[in-house]
Amino acid sequence: MNDAALSQVLEDIQDGIAIFDMDCRFVRVNKVFAAECRRLYGADIRPGISVLSLCEAYPQWAQQWLYHCKRALAGDSNTYVCSIPNVVPGGAHHRISFKPLYDEEGRVTGAFMLSRNVSHELTFYQDMLNANAQLHQVQSAIDACAIVAMLDERARIMRVNEMFCNATGLSATALVGLPFSQIISQVESPCDVNDIWRTLRTGKTWHNEVIYNSADSRMIWVDATVSPFTTGDAKGGYLVICLDITARKQQEIKARENEQFFRSVLENLPVGLHQYTPDGWSVDLNGYMRDILGEGHLAVNGLPYNVLGDPINRHNGLNAMFEEVIRRRVPVKKEILLKYTEVQNGAVTRIQPAYYEATGFPVIGQQNELAYMFLILSEITEKKLAELSLEKSERLLNNIVENLPIGYIQFDNFGFIRRVNQTQRLFFGNNVNGEHEDAYNMINDPFAKLFELDQLFMQVLQHGKMVRMEKKLDFSLDKDWTKTDREVFLDLTMFPVYDPVDKDQIVVALVNDITDKKRQEIENAKAQEFMLQTGEIGKIGGWEIDVPSYRVRWSPQTYRIHELPPYTQMSMEKMGTFYSDDERARVEDVIMECCQYGRSFDEQLTLVTARNNSIKIRMIGRPEFRNGRIVRIHGVIQDITEQFQIRDQLSRNTELMSLFFDTIDMGYAVMGQDGKVNFINKKAEEIIDHEAVLGNNIFEVFPWLSGSTFHSKLSECIEHRRPVSFINYLPQTNKWYEFLLAAMQDGSISIFTRNVTTSRRMQRELRKANEQLLNLNKYLVNQNKQLEDFAHITSHNLRAPIANLKALMQIYNNTTSESERELYINMQHDVILNIDETLNDLIEVVQIRKDLNLEREKLSFSERLQRIKEILTVDIETSGIRLTCDFSDSPDIEYPKIYLDSILQNLLTNAIKYRANDRSPMVHFQSRKVDGGVMLTAEDNGVGIDLDRYGNKLFGFRKTFHKNKDAKGIGLFITKSQIEAMGGNILAESKPGKGTKFIITFRPE
Amino acid sequence: MKPLNTIFIVDDDPIHQQITEIMLDRLNITNAVSKYSDAQEVLDYLRSYRNDPSQLPDIILLDLNMPVMDGWEFLDTFQTFRGTLCKPIRVYVLTSSIDEKDQERVSSYDFVNGYLTKPLTNDVIMQLAD
Repeated sequence: MNDAALSQVLEDIQDGIAIFDMDCRFVRVNKVFAAECRRLYGADIRPGISVLSLCEAYPQWAQQWLYHCKRALAGDSNTYVCSIPNVVPGGAHHRISFKPLYDEEGRVTGAFMLSRNVSHELTFYQDMLNANAQLHQVQSAIDACAIVAMLDERARIMRVNEMFCNATGLSATALVGLPFSQIISQVESPCDVNDIWRTLRTGKTWHNEVIYNSADSRMIWVDATVSPFTTGDAKGGYLVICLDITARKQQEIKARENEQFFRSVLENLPVGLHQYTPDGWSVDLNGYMRDILGEGHLAVNGLPYNVLGDPINRHNGLNAMFEEVIRRRVPVKKEILLKYTEVQNGAVTRIQPAYYEATGFPVIGQQNELAYMFLILSEITEKKLAELSLEKSERLLNNIVENLPIGYIQFDNFGFIRRVNQTQRLFFGNNVNGEHEDAYNMINDPFAKLFELDQLFMQVLQHGKMVRMEKKLDFSLDKDWTKTDREVFLDLTMFPVYDPVDKDQIVVALVNDITDKKRQEIENAKAQEFMLQTGEIGKIGGWEIDVPSYRVRWSPQTYRIHELPPYTQMSMEKMGTFYSDDERARVEDVIMECCQYGRSFDEQLTLVTARNNSIKIRMIGRPEFRNGRIVRIHGVIQDITEQFQIRDQLSRNTELMSLFFDTIDMGYAVMGQDGKVNFINKKAEEIIDHEAVLGNNIFEVFPWLSGSTFHSKLSECIEHRRPVSFINYLPQTNKWYEFLLAAMQDGSISIFTRNVTTSRRMQRELRKANEQLLNLNKYLVNQNKQLEDFAHITSHNLRAPIANLKALMQIYNNTTSESERELYINMQHDVILNIDETLNDLIEVVQIRKDLNLEREKLSFSERLQRIKEILTVDIETSGIRLTCDFSDSPDIEYPKIYLDSILQNLLTNAIKYRANDRSPMVHFQSRKVDGGVMLTAEDNGVGIDLDRYGNKLFGFRKTFHKNKDAKGIGLFITKSQIEAMGGNILAESKPGKGTKFIITFRPE
Repeated sequence: MKPLNTIFIVDDDPIHQQITEIMLDRLNITNAVSKYSDAQEVLDYLRSYRNDPSQLPDIILLDLNMPVMDGWEFLDTFQTFRGTLCKPIRVYVLTSSIDEKDQERVSSYDFVNGYLTKPLTNDVIMQLAD
């Protein structure tokens, strides 16, 4: 290789190259070397220069070169990095290698230097070192607080930190090499391995909260991050970092559980709960409250709702309650009627009030401020309704008890009187107010003991059975209890009742005074006994009839019964005359049957005696046979009038119940659960106006009752076995009834009913009266308004001229000039004339208002208009107005003549006065019937009036709207007054420049 | 030198116009008095001389109860253009009404300087001059 070739090689090498001789002189340098030295050091290196010569000028590097060059010349190859700071940013760094050059004999002949610029490599390396140091710091920080593992690209554990070992309970040596998925498989919480790898494969970091069981079996929450990384040598791997968040997590969970727990408790409370801000805005509410408020409610739909601003709450008392809560800061309880609910009962839907117990309470915050208000609603409808219904039933029952026609006494189980009704007090004839009743005790009372009433009481109480007996008491032996000073017979009924409220057995005594009846019975028995004893059969006469002659024979007693003189001729025909037609037929029948067939008879008949007394008799007849043939019938006739009366009395007494129920002013019926009517009193019969009810099923007799309120209430009464009361309207009779249904022991139902239509009607009439009052009030207000108007008129229209007079007086007095004074006097004169005119107008108006009772007469519109035309002839002719009219629909009217004339005149005058100059004036009068009254219209084609501007003053006193000198502003005012005084009204329709139409409605008579 | 230049009397009662004019003349407080029975005429006048201070009055004495255009209508319309006048005009309501409702209603117009009841007295007139 020649020298030229070597040079070319050297020039092509991109590192700096220099060759030295043994004296450290440059023998050769390539272009790169020379350029670098020039660029970086400003040194001009050329062959022939000794390194030594450079040392003085460039001590930084030249000395190093010299040293290393000498070592190379001594046969030592060496390499070092030469760093020269500040020559370029970041400094210049070269890796410099010196090598000895040998000849064929192996002797050193020179040195070879290769200088490679490594500035870039070096900065990078430095950065790496720094990063590494930082990384170490980060790593140790992470190691101190996090569980860290490094995985290789196949997710096997490469490295773990101490905490990872602690967490898994395995040593680092045991862990390294394990697949990471094996660790994950032990994790408690749902942690999908596939999900992790799927995420990582996309190059993203996987992040989640994970729970695992620690080595000592504790639940550990970690915030886990797995991120992929790649190393410089294109090898990949994953970094797992888990932060222990157990403490925080446990707190969180506990709080959430607590909240969930309370929330679920509150949500599921069987009472409504509602939270409000201190100024009443809804914050939250539970499910029950939502049910109570209903789906349409603002609060339920999460819309702003203010409980204090809800007008409903002013009525039901919630507002007042919350105000108290806010004011006193204590819980407040209140029973409220919150709403009405629909209750489906078979086919009937009824509206039922819903009552709630409302409790409002404040929640006081830490600054002692009102933080929240709560409302608790718990439904008490059932209780409240039961209370109300009980009260109502009780009232009705009390009413019944009080007015029973028999005595009623109620004892408690100690024998003390709890209640006595009016009838009983009257019977005892003493303190109607019941002063001493509290002190009376049935068991201790000596009088009761005397007549063994105490024993009776105990018997009823102990056996729980009803006792009914007739008892004779000598009231004269008792001084405290009764003022009745005689012996009495009582029909005494005592029965036990279980008081559902006090849970006590009580005893009710029904006392019926049967003294009179008893006396009569006894009397009767005595009399009969007496008669029997004396052997005389009192008032019994004999009779016989021969067969077949039908001859009649009577005993003297029979004649006495008939009040006939003895031995009066008697015959079958004559016998019959003592009976009414019906009875005679019966008498003849039984006698004929007895004669022909031998049938005996015993009849009770009514007989009218010869003296025309009606008596009851008993007639007994028997046949007499001879040789198998009836030859005679004979028998007795007995006056049983007295007996009959007694029996009558008796049967009435035995029907005590029905009598009693018939006498009370209340319908009463007893009905089986199936609807069969077992008893019905007269009143009830009247009410239902049907006779075939007793013994029948009411729902068959009245099919329309099925599904009615009555039906549903009846079911309610049967189902709950409790009294039910209600008011119902029966359209069939157009009446209102109050009902009380009470279930009885045997399952049947007592029905009490009362017609309450009158009280309902009274309510309606009250309402009507109210309306009338309202109307009257309206009328008075109107009158007042008119008075006010009048006051206004007087103050206005009279004050103006008076003020003028006053001013004139003042200026008159302030001058001495005679001519001036004369002027003022003249002006005063004008003013006085003006006052006079105004006063006259006013008087005319007052007259109208006073003449309220002006006589009406039948007037013909066309006649009256004709008369007015005559009066106004001159005006009509000058103006040339064309007057037309049509009174065909309503030609006449009942009205005061002077008013109608005045009205017509004013209307016509108006039409003339306010005619338009550019067209020929016209006015059209028309009358029509409207709604019973008469309407009169007057329509002209005059100048018209701007009603928007003057409408409210059109009919005012002295209001004018035209620059017309004739306008005084009085005509329409008077017209209006005259119409309104008679109860009518006047309106105007107008368009400026087109004309005016006045519409008058006269009040119908 | 009189304190006021011109006073307008707006009133449909000719006697009142005359009396007021006499009283104003007597007290020598104004150079001129103009009398109007039609409020509309006054409004038209004011509009057409809005830029000429010498033609505009210093004071308007306004009656309320007038035919065709009454005092209220005058005030309503006046209110709409009084800002465009080159000189401030004092407006006094001068009426026979002592109705409180009228007084209240007048006080709702804040540019009205006073509510005077008829008849005018010398004292009141002297106050106008101040």
